[in-house]
Amino acid sequence: MIISAANGPGPKPTYLEFKIPDGWPKPPTDIFAKNRLSEEGFQLGRKLFYDGRLSKDGNFPCASCHQQFAAFANFEHDFSHGFNNTFTTRNAPPLLNLAWMTEFQWDGAVNHIEVQPLSPMTASNEMAESIDSILIKLRRDTAYVRMFKAAFGTTEINSQRMLKALAQFTGSIVSADSKYDKIKRGERVFTTSELNGYNTFKEKCASCHKEPLFTDNSFRNNGLPLNTFTSDYGRMKITRDKNDSLKFKVPTLRNVAVTYPYMHDGRFVTLGQVIDHYRTGVQTNQPNLDSALRNKLPMTLTEKNNLIYFLFTLTDSSVVHNPRFAERQ
Amino acid sequence: MSSGRKFAVDSWQLAVCLPVIVMLFLSFSEVPSIKAKTGSVRIVFKNTVAGIPLMLDSAKYKNIFGEPFTVTKFKYYISNVSLENKTDKQAEKESYHLTDARDSTSMSFSYMVTEGKYRDLVFLLGVDSIRNCSGAQTGALDPMNDMFWTWNSGYVMAKFEGGSDSSKAMRRMEYHIGGYKASENVVQNIRLHAATPISITEGKETIIIIETDISKWWQTIDKITIAENPICTTPGSLAKRIAANYSNMFSIQSISNN
Repeated sequence: MIISAANGPGPKPTYLEFKIPDGWPKPPTDIFAKNRLSEEGFQLGRKLFYDGRLSKDGNFPCASCHQQFAAFANFEHDFSHGFNNTFTTRNAPPLLNLAWMTEFQWDGAVNHIEVQPLSPMTASNEMAESIDSILIKLRRDTAYVRMFKAAFGTTEINSQRMLKALAQFTGSIVSADSKYDKIKRGERVFTTSELNGYNTFKEKCASCHKEPLFTDNSFRNNGLPLNTFTSDYGRMKITRDKNDSLKFKVPTLRNVAVTYPYMHDGRFVTLGQVIDHYRTGVQTNQPNLDSALRNKLPMTLTEKNNLIYFLFTLTDSSVVHNPRFAERQ
Repeated sequence: MSSGRKFAVDSWQLAVCLPVIVMLFLSFSEVPSIKAKTGSVRIVFKNTVAGIPLMLDSAKYKNIFGEPFTVTKFKYYISNVSLENKTDKQAEKESYHLTDARDSTSMSFSYMVTEGKYRDLVFLLGVDSIRNCSGAQTGALDPMNDMFWTWNSGYVMAKFEGGSDSSKAMRRMEYHIGGYKASENVVQNIRLHAATPISITEGKETIIIIETDISKWWQTIDKITIAENPICTTPGSLAKRIAANYSNMFSIQSISNN
């Protein structure tokens, strides 16, 4: 191999250890096993995440639909805006604890964190850009040339490196330091309302929204009527199995107070509306309704309010306000 | 499209690995059996329509049902290539190739093989399941090659597009054949048995020319007409039926030595 001086080997990246929070399960696969996490890779991924040039007209970086202050969901938008005055057809999910996730998107269409960005990048109603064009733009920018070399050893800029860098950034966003986590570690205590809400949560919600991730990452039919505007049957599109009709991924409840609106189509604006759906709204005549919801989730108004107080304890400033995950100024 | 980029080892990795590689080489070179004599095998694919060389865009063809068609795109993955005889299997390393009828340089590749006589050329038509779910790939497997589904992760193993007056889908014909999960797997194990031995000689190149007959897509196992099925762009039973048909599209045309 001939390497010119300008393209010569750089110093090794500063490798980082991905820390699994105490008491958490190990991720089902190690997403950094073939994409060794480094400070340089993370910083490159962070720059890419906030860079509008990844979209066709420059207006739609990843961060346009995944806003830090909304726990990397899209604040106040049921559907997000895409290229040329278009809308997406599903609610942008928060990007949290992705290192524990093996199937991405509401229907599990994508099988690896590294290939997930290909979908929004190329979708005509999202970033609407081709991978070739993105790479051409990146190669013109000497800052990127330097950063790819720092992260991967040479100045080559290709799709694989771009996607691996993005996975280093998004995969590093771990939410494990909310009030709830501090309580679990004995650093703080619940108020009476929060504690009562936690007990309701454990009784009625925790089988799907499993601690500590607050999701079991499964796909379930939660009894929502079909959205006739999007005609979205969820998981069935991927498996072509009618038993998967109207099944969507169980979303994490971490930071749920800031990720509204809710559900795959953002149909509910408040947590109260979500809980009311489970109390009274579940369509129990759907044949593949999740068995936990056969009798809905009856709850008194006091229980409902306390449950909301508990859900507020899942907001995590170490994600929402962490300068490390913010756009570099 | 089989890309030289797959050899682009990161230089700092090389700096670490090189001494190790040299040491390994030195230690192996003391063992006589490791110094195998090697020659090269070049595998060439020639696309045809029932024996007639495929011409894109302008040429008009008919399938066995008399349905007219033109071809505008024809691409397929060849992976996990090996030459085999009863006792030996010579596999290509990092063996992923994307042939594209529009790019003549993509239609052949070569690798080094231990001297000997082989009887079978074995490969996958498609990309093995592991590489369908291992994250971002490069070289022939780069998603930029327009053979990776973003709406349902996985590679399109073979892509055949064109036009046909028999098609009710705006006279278009589009077959994007993919699916790697057990229930929808379209990857085909191909084993081509050579009538005469494939002889590999030290320092020489043996050329195997393979005919790829596109007309097999509608026949051999199952009859599939353009009128009924002009489009197949999702995994599932139609994709599996088409893949079963096209698993028969390869035949060894000639073997020669240079």
